[in-house]
Amino acid sequence: MSHSSRADALTAHIPAAHGMAAAVNARQASAVETTRAALDRLASRESAIDAFLDTFPDAALRHAAIIDQRIADGESLPLAGVPVAIKDNLVIGPDLHTPGDAFGYGGRTTCGSRILENYHSPFTATSVQRLIDAGAIIIGKTNMDEFAMGSSCEHSAFKITRNPHEPAHVPGGSSGGSAAAVGSNIVPLALGSDTGGSIRQPASYCGIYGLKPTYGRVSRSGLVAYASSLDQVGPMASDLSDLAIATQVICATDPLDSTSSSRAAEWHLDGAGASSLVDAMASPITGLAIGVPAQARSASNHPDVTRVLNDTIASLQRIGATVVDIDLPMTDYGIAAYYIVAAAEASSNLARFDGIRYGRRASLEPGQGLVDLYCRSRSEGFGKEVQRRIMLGTYVLSSGYYDAYYNTALKARRLIKQDFDTCFAGTSSHPACHAVLMPAAPGPAFKIGEKSSDPLALYLEDVYTVGVNLAGLPGLTIPAGWTSALPRLPIGMQLIGRGFDELTLLRIAAMVRNSQTT
Amino acid sequence: MPSATIQSVQLKVGLEIHVELATRTKMFTRAPSPGYADFDTAAPNTLIDPLVLALPGALPVMNRDAIEMSMLVGLALGCDIAKVTSWDRKNYFYPDMPKAYQISQYDRPICGTGVFDLPAAASGGEPDFDAPSTPIRITRAHLEEDAGKLLHESPGGFAIDHSIVDLNRTGTPLLEIVTEPDFQTADQVVLFCRVLRTLCRSLGVTLGVMQRGHMRFEPNINCILTLSDGTTVATPVVEVKNLNSFRSVRGAIEFELADQPRRWQEDGKVMGRGMKITRGWDDKANRTFIQREKEDAHDYRYFPDPDLLPLTIEREWVSEVRLRLTESPLNRTRRYMKDLGLAAKEALALAEEHPVTQFHDAAVAHAITLGLAPDRAGRLTANFILQNGQKRVNERNTTLAARDSGAAPILVSDLGISASQVGELAALRDKGLINSNAADELFGLCCAPENQTASVEALARAQGLIIEQDAGALQGWIETVIAANPKVADDVRAGKLQAAGRLMGEVMKLAAGKADAKNVRELLLKTLGQG
Repeated sequence: MSHSSRADALTAHIPAAHGMAAAVNARQASAVETTRAALDRLASRESAIDAFLDTFPDAALRHAAIIDQRIADGESLPLAGVPVAIKDNLVIGPDLHTPGDAFGYGGRTTCGSRILENYHSPFTATSVQRLIDAGAIIIGKTNMDEFAMGSSCEHSAFKITRNPHEPAHVPGGSSGGSAAAVGSNIVPLALGSDTGGSIRQPASYCGIYGLKPTYGRVSRSGLVAYASSLDQVGPMASDLSDLAIATQVICATDPLDSTSSSRAAEWHLDGAGASSLVDAMASPITGLAIGVPAQARSASNHPDVTRVLNDTIASLQRIGATVVDIDLPMTDYGIAAYYIVAAAEASSNLARFDGIRYGRRASLEPGQGLVDLYCRSRSEGFGKEVQRRIMLGTYVLSSGYYDAYYNTALKARRLIKQDFDTCFAGTSSHPACHAVLMPAAPGPAFKIGEKSSDPLALYLEDVYTVGVNLAGLPGLTIPAGWTSALPRLPIGMQLIGRGFDELTLLRIAAMVRNSQTT
Repeated sequence: MPSATIQSVQLKVGLEIHVELATRTKMFTRAPSPGYADFDTAAPNTLIDPLVLALPGALPVMNRDAIEMSMLVGLALGCDIAKVTSWDRKNYFYPDMPKAYQISQYDRPICGTGVFDLPAAASGGEPDFDAPSTPIRITRAHLEEDAGKLLHESPGGFAIDHSIVDLNRTGTPLLEIVTEPDFQTADQVVLFCRVLRTLCRSLGVTLGVMQRGHMRFEPNINCILTLSDGTTVATPVVEVKNLNSFRSVRGAIEFELADQPRRWQEDGKVMGRGMKITRGWDDKANRTFIQREKEDAHDYRYFPDPDLLPLTIEREWVSEVRLRLTESPLNRTRRYMKDLGLAAKEALALAEEHPVTQFHDAAVAHAITLGLAPDRAGRLTANFILQNGQKRVNERNTTLAARDSGAAPILVSDLGISASQVGELAALRDKGLINSNAADELFGLCCAPENQTASVEALARAQGLIIEQDAGALQGWIETVIAANPKVADDVRAGKLQAAGRLMGEVMKLAAGKADAKNVRELLLKTLGQG
């Protein structure tokens, strides 16, 4: 692999999170050291990529010292001293609910929006709290497309994040800040959120692993809602084992989220004879069958994406997998169904940002009233893409249009789920598949500004990812190859599994990884 | 302007009733709820949390108590309980609703259709148990969350250039009960509203304080006009919003009943799609006023709330809840009338408050163990509770209210006297051992803290209140009084029976409470040759 020297400097490797945690737990290294190292990397790399909206150097070091004390007192924590980054749509309160643990993180939760520019949450997202409880140190909050609406991180109200492999290109989105923070190895691990591909597509663009767990695995409490029935928090990591560890840490049933599943922490590790997800991941699957849908070879794919898909199929076959041609005929309807359902829910979810209780409030002229306050605050506070989706969502839910749009989209959603179910169950023409393989995006990271004038072209970036959200299934992006021409950009592939069967995806990913390194 | 004249007018009313449930916490969060007695006077904006404020990232979690309370009301009204019920968002912007949508139930309400047997309504809205009852069809009952409160002038009534928002009520569970347009008189509607309030209070699902808006009524009113040419027309339906007193419910209906035929004569408008009118009630002018001309002005964009899963209600759960259905106040009233021979008015008064009913039932039971017949026990106990007891309750509540206008009123069961003491009083009275003045004095004594476990008979003896059973003593007092008032005695002898009252008073004074008025009168008249 040949990178430009500048990109090399931006992505230079660091130890994996599990190695850091092992060293800190064994008191061979301290959390303060791992944190300081991350802050040093931040200082040298951040200016080139702009991954972060806020950083917490002081709070992180204070917190690290407390972790070191806890380790000295005999505790062992799965993510002891591991520096992490958090997407800025996950709230972090000043008090982290554990007595004595008010590290002073707090800070803003902006969602990349002017309307929340100075918003401070009094409480902490469950997923973030679970990372903290596992010993992780929060370095900062990462940039994102405003309210997670976008696929490039260009739609943040505050800054444009750059791809660590080639700064003239986007990191993907909407979790582009988290992807870039991991891709640049400032941190080994970050949290993102995925409503229509917002973890998997930037993971592909930045050459890292990214998992969108099954809907209901990770609590949405403290995740600022974009589309509630599709949103899911997930981990992004350079190292597959780190991804597995983080997955096990954040997945849990949460009484604060009614859609959190009672099966959220079920892994069925016994079959693999293991005690943790990362151990279970190591055992390969015999008789592996992978479905590849005809739709994965779309003519609109970048040629390198189709090539990497074929390379991945070849390496799967080399390790004994059966690759099965399948059909996901409803894929074509995914984008339409997704943009109707997501926009409908967003139009309602974002209505609370009205300038009355918190967030941006417009100043009024004499004689203006309540409606002016709403209109001006929201017009000033929301960016164009957010306004576009609010209007779209309002329209599809209006009386007279509801059945034509929203109800039809729900029907398409059920059929998309059925397509996947059929593939996993097997048919007369093909055996049951362990997983489906397809690209995470139709192309590699595009240039900053290249697609910003054409919203529809940007929406089509999501063609391979939205079906997974509509069906509520787990989807895992794995680094799979590179573009052939310069600049050399990473290309990821996506593995899609049965509901609550992330373990199978991780095992397949481990098999692919091992086949590439040996 | 229509040419035909109106021959007759038939009123038609359907009701929507909002009941604020008395759960400890709000509908979808753990913040305390002002519908619960402990929190109903909380300072503004203190019953809040991230969900109530609609802070980003806060999610709703359903309150099971609200579900069970709704099931209880549904069962009491004869409604089907849904097997699956679900939540929808009703979207609109208003500063008293932080999320900018209300979580409600659009097409899968918790309670489905039912029929409630309403007693016939006498004028004034009192039940008439002798006339046949009317079935009132219930359309549905669904759960939703309440909005907060907006003040456009400062407390105390001073003008301000802004509005004040109080979010204490935001997110409080509301059960909205909808009936078919089965009411034909204002009396029926008022009776139903009263019966429903008593029922909900007795089930413990609401505090039911009208002034606090715990029950809000929205009648849908129109009239069927029979015209001189023999045809009929229906006037447009008027929905009167947010009535929170029985008086205003009656006023709004009576006003519309008089005004709708007049309006029809003026504009000829009849019932039809898009013709529904929303009106408000002016409590001072005693009339309704126009609020919104056409109903479909709002598009609420209802859609299923993706934050909440549909709720499956297992039949076992319904059976469990059904076990908690207590005897309804109406059935209690009927039982008191039938078993205890009470008049409807007394029976209703006793059945209204659940603690009073329980107190009464215990007192009757005790009187029966002391040898009284059920109807005799019921009659005497009812008198003690409704007269001797209620008099003291009224006095105490007046004092309480003077000290603290927000103080919760007390009931007979809170006076201090025990139910078994009331039973004892009934027995002493039944045996003619005490007279009514003595009974009242003893009732008062039993309310004192030091006497709450005392034997009533012992108290009566200690106070010298037991009636002198020795006929000789009574005859002696009578002779003394006659001798002292010869002229009055002569009047009685001459047939002026009303003059006997003065002599009786003298005898009672002499007896110092040891004589029974009835006995005195009998013996006095006999002595004067009028017996």
